[in-house]
Amino acid sequence: MGDRRLEILHGIDFDLGAGELVALVGSSGAGKSTLLHILGLIDDPTEGKVLVQGIDAWGASEEKRAELRNQHIGFVFQFYHLLPELTALENVLLPVMISHSRWAFRKAAKDWRAKALELLSRFGMADRKNHKPPALSGGERQRVAMARALLQDPSILLADEPTGNLDSATGEKVLELLFEEQARRELSMILVTHDATLAARCGRTVFLGDGLVQGDSTVPVPV
Amino acid sequence: MYRTFLSWRYLFARRTNLIGMTGIFVAVAALILIYSIMTGFLEESRRAVRGALADVLVEPARAGEITGVPIPASPQRSLEIIRDTDGVNGATARITWHALFTQGGDEQAQFESVLSSTGSGELLGVQLLGVDVRTEERFLQPALAASFHALGIPYRPYEIKDEFDATEFYGSLQRARTRSSEFIVSAAVDFPMMPFVPPRRMAREARLRKLAPIIVGAKFYDTLHLQKGDVVQLATVSPNSKGDDFTIVNRDFVLAGVFSSGENESDLSKVYMARSELQDFLGMQHNYSQILVRLDDYDDNGPQVAASLQGRLTDEGLIAGSYWGREVSTWEEQRGGLLGAIENERVLMAIMLGLVLIVAGFTIFAILSMMVTEKRRDIGILAALGATRSGILQTFLLIAFWDALIGSVFGVVCGIWAAWKIDPFERWLSSYTKRFFGGEIFKRDLYFFDHIPAIVQTGPVVAFVIAAFVCTLGFALIPAWRAARQSPLEGLRHE
Repeated sequence: MGDRRLEILHGIDFDLGAGELVALVGSSGAGKSTLLHILGLIDDPTEGKVLVQGIDAWGASEEKRAELRNQHIGFVFQFYHLLPELTALENVLLPVMISHSRWAFRKAAKDWRAKALELLSRFGMADRKNHKPPALSGGERQRVAMARALLQDPSILLADEPTGNLDSATGEKVLELLFEEQARRELSMILVTHDATLAARCGRTVFLGDGLVQGDSTVPVPV
Repeated sequence: MYRTFLSWRYLFARRTNLIGMTGIFVAVAALILIYSIMTGFLEESRRAVRGALADVLVEPARAGEITGVPIPASPQRSLEIIRDTDGVNGATARITWHALFTQGGDEQAQFESVLSSTGSGELLGVQLLGVDVRTEERFLQPALAASFHALGIPYRPYEIKDEFDATEFYGSLQRARTRSSEFIVSAAVDFPMMPFVPPRRMAREARLRKLAPIIVGAKFYDTLHLQKGDVVQLATVSPNSKGDDFTIVNRDFVLAGVFSSGENESDLSKVYMARSELQDFLGMQHNYSQILVRLDDYDDNGPQVAASLQGRLTDEGLIAGSYWGREVSTWEEQRGGLLGAIENERVLMAIMLGLVLIVAGFTIFAILSMMVTEKRRDIGILAALGATRSGILQTFLLIAFWDALIGSVFGVVCGIWAAWKIDPFERWLSSYTKRFFGGEIFKRDLYFFDHIPAIVQTGPVVAFVIAAFVCTLGFALIPAWRAARQSPLEGLRHE
């Protein structure tokens, strides 16, 4: 892209309450994903701040930011993004491996493994725990990705079109599980989608257009 | 924890990593094997070069006319002074001269015809060495010591060193008896302890004429198709007593056997006989031309002792001293260049083989670069899950580390094993090359080694392993750095 700067978002002001489920909608290129990446500390904003637990994430060190990502933010991607060399269980355990040193992990491995297995079995994946991603279907992969995102009990869950790559029946099952977990854990969750019916199922909908928040509504509105 | 875990997974997930590992393995194994063989050769050569030389050589210049004081004709006084010097273990005198060697002729006429013919294929220049071997004293010494000890009389042990004490001459005679070639073994002297006695089997004529025995080098013997017990002829020129004219002298000798020093040049050109015999042959007044000195500990103070010998002998007027170049020299001064050359070759070989290591490192660089490109998505995922840049850098460096570790371990084991087994392996391989190509791979006769020498030293092995790690990690740093610098978003954006 060279020196050409592409301004995608400008002047976004946006609150997310604890336990709130928000659908982020907008046409393609409206900056939904960019906003999500900035909130998830993957992409850095040219201006402005992202405060996580009261800490200015982009002002902090890279280590601190990595730790915040690891401890407080859970990601669910459209393309699942599992590591193909690891089994389903290992993929779920990966965030714990990242946050723990070898000895700390060895000590706590049993508990984490049990927790991961519990999540997998809640998602109906217990008997597939030793399969590697290429041997799993799309829906199965997304469930593993969800288990991975939820393992360390994050305070925010960011889902980028989690059903965008699934057929409607499979997508529906995945969504059910996702909403169920959100409600049970009282998670703050942002769901990026351009599916109006899906947005309608969330408590609040934020419209993004031309890099600005065009609307913020608690009433389902067709897009 | 994920760094070790993931790097290990990635390592075996891609077969191409085995290529890098194999590269390191081959490079380390080859370095160890070749360096060990070179070390073996260097040691053999050092032994051979060293063996023919005494620690210190005193070679008085025949330069009485320069100093005005003639150098004495007998080494007696010099030997006394040398033996009396601190750090000297013993000394022995020697005569050296050069001569022409012809075989099978006892006629002056034949020699002259050979000399006058333009093709001198039957004529060989040799170096004559008239040496002392005090066999009787050697045999008597232990008996005398024992009886004096029994009688309680203090006994001054045998101090008059001979050629056997000063050089490896005895070892060379013995070595000829154990050579792999039957031909050479049958040509060894009958009794190495008494080298200058005529052989049991010899030409009738030699027996009748009571010819004096000489000993030649194994290669010389081989080249000329000589036979133990043969009558051979030596011819040379000798200065007359006044030193202003030369006389042609020639004489028949009987071949008593061969020696094998392992050094090519010695084995091709040296002819040994008793010192008194050579003096008689040359008709010289001087009955020595060199004094060989053995020191108590050459490595400790060789050059210093040589310097003090130079001083003392000059003061006594036994050598010309500063009027005449260097008359007292250490063995290193005489042959240092040759050993330096072999050492040089060893270092050059290590550098050349080091290039193999660089090629292996480059392979790892290429494979890891491919992997980093291929794993862009994984890098993005790891970053999103909370991996730091340094964590990602370490993960990829660890892949190279395992390559280096596994490659080196196998390399060290195989390299040492190969160095240990190179001789039987070469024999096995040669048994096939002999059958199909009609030649051995390692020509034992060329070196007069009966085995391929290989010496594994810990220091170089450790150095090669360190070099393998430095090279691998150095090359791996570039792709690993690229992986660490990659923005997480870049990997996540597209499927």
